[in-house]
Amino acid sequence: MLISCPFCGEREVAEFEFRCTLEERGATAAERLYFRLADPRRSLEHWQHVRGCRMWLELHRDLRTGRVLRTASVPVPPADGTGS
Amino acid sequence: MGAYSAFGLLREAIRGPRAWQPLWERRAPEAAYDVVIVGGGGHGLATAYHLARHFGLRRVAVLERTLIGYGNVGRNTTIVRSNYLLPENQHFYEDALRRWRSLGRELNYNIMFSPRGVLDLATSDDQLAACARRGNAMRLAGIDAELLDRAAVGRFARALDCGAVRQFPIHGGLLQRRGGTVRHDAVAWGYARAAARLGVHIIEQCEVLGVVRVAGRIAGVETSRGTIAAERVGIAVAGGTAELARRLGIALPLETHLLQAGVTEPVKPMLDRVLIYMFPHGGEVYVSQSDRGGLVFGGMLDGYPSMTQRGEITRVRDVAAALTSLLPQVKQLRLLRHWAGMNDMTMDGSPIIDRIGGDELYLNGGWCYGGFKATPASGYAFAELIARGRASELIRAFRLSRFASGHLLDESGAGPFPSRQ
Ligand SMILES: Cc1cc2nc3c(=O)[nH]c(=O)nc-3n(C[C@H](O)[C@H](O)[C@H](O)COP(=O)(O)OP(=O)(O)OC[C@H]3O[C@@H](n4cnc5c(N)ncnc54)[C@H](O)[C@@H]3O)c2cc1C
Ligand SMILES: [Zn+2]
Repeated sequence: MLISCPFCGEREVAEFEFRCTLEERGATAAERLYFRLADPRRSLEHWQHVRGCRMWLELHRDLRTGRVLRTASVPVPPADGTGS
Repeated sequence: MGAYSAFGLLREAIRGPRAWQPLWERRAPEAAYDVVIVGGGGHGLATAYHLARHFGLRRVAVLERTLIGYGNVGRNTTIVRSNYLLPENQHFYEDALRRWRSLGRELNYNIMFSPRGVLDLATSDDQLAACARRGNAMRLAGIDAELLDRAAVGRFARALDCGAVRQFPIHGGLLQRRGGTVRHDAVAWGYARAAARLGVHIIEQCEVLGVVRVAGRIAGVETSRGTIAAERVGIAVAGGTAELARRLGIALPLETHLLQAGVTEPVKPMLDRVLIYMFPHGGEVYVSQSDRGGLVFGGMLDGYPSMTQRGEITRVRDVAAALTSLLPQVKQLRLLRHWAGMNDMTMDGSPIIDRIGGDELYLNGGWCYGGFKATPASGYAFAELIARGRASELIRAFRLSRFASGHLLDESGAGPFPSRQ
């Protein structure tokens, strides 16, 4: 898989580290923690370009094709938990 | 279909290869069943077998999207063990390990159960302490566990040069002697044959697309081969759980992740144990030698969600590096094949076996990367749940409501991060 870093361009996935999927829904704490994916075929994720610029990224991925749909940089590392 | 025996083998050898019968009959689905099991992996087949054998249900069908053995039951690294930390997991996996011992006889099929010992190798003092803790917990539960120092590791695993210079030296390990391997294909074929002999219909290339409800109650399933009526529906689709649950509108606390495994070219016997080599900061390799001679090995999940069933080359490299660090002699061998399987990873790393919404809809899933060893226990308990409508003590902790009530079974203490379980 290739990930296009907004700062460094297209790089191999080995340069990046996946952190977690992000909550897309949830009214209660249990829902936000454990039932956070709105659709199991797509996910919103936090990654870090650890072997590159070390910036935090938010990726939207199509899990059935493995393709990255959208990449955006996020200013600060997300707080512990699921990113809330 | 007769029973297999030494005499039968001799007779068929004389009669020639045409004499052997298929293990189960290829057939089209009938219009209605008492129970439909979705998914013809190890768990689905075992469930159908027990429904027919122990719970008196005769009109049972297993609906498999692809072919028997194409799922994770035929993709795993065949390791069976019960060396868990949490009591709920210990009792459940111990029940499975006891069942493996006699399963070959029960199914009248050689599943090649080989209790050759499963040895977790610690590469730091912390890890050795964690091994001691887990070993003590196991012994309190009446499960065999032995903490080995480095010298004892060397005596137990002759293939291993414990004194060799390694980036991560071996400090000792935790041994479960009764653990080992089982031939995975034989488990699928053995259960399928035994279930078919009891009248279960095994229907391949039949994908379940949804359930049929009449007046709000389960009445059957919608499939790629038409509608099939059923009084009860049991789901056991492992890596397909997230996708099927979405179709059924059930929210589940799981993500789909990939796990890869590989096998080397076959060589003469060189490794007679199951070794698991864990790195201090995460990363691992587990390896055993198959009866055919190939070294079968795997490592950690690919590290991020995917439904592609195509593994990442980075992980193949990492795992190969760990393997050759553990057993340098493997460097000379060629990699024969490597593959990936989709895993139904739950938010606490433990399975879900439950009745859904008080309906005649039952779910068996969330097996993560470790459900092969569970197959015989899961099959019996899931059959019991479907037949009686109530979970037995053994699987009560695997209920879905644990995520809302906070009674999680987080064996590794990783938190709600499936990629780190
Ligand atoms: C590389 C790898 C190594 C592993 N190593 C081990 C190990 O050493 N020890 C261990 O205990 N576990 C291991 N596991 C985990 C273990 O293989 C699985 O947890 C277990 O096999 C899952 O249960 P199953 O056999 O029923 O799954 P499967 O064999 O995957 O069965 C599920 C079936 O459901 C079918 N299906 C899916 N959706 C539908 C649908 N809509 N309609 C009809 N059918 C459908 C699929 O085609 C599939 O055949 C490993 C897994 C992988 C991928
Ligand atoms: Zn970058």
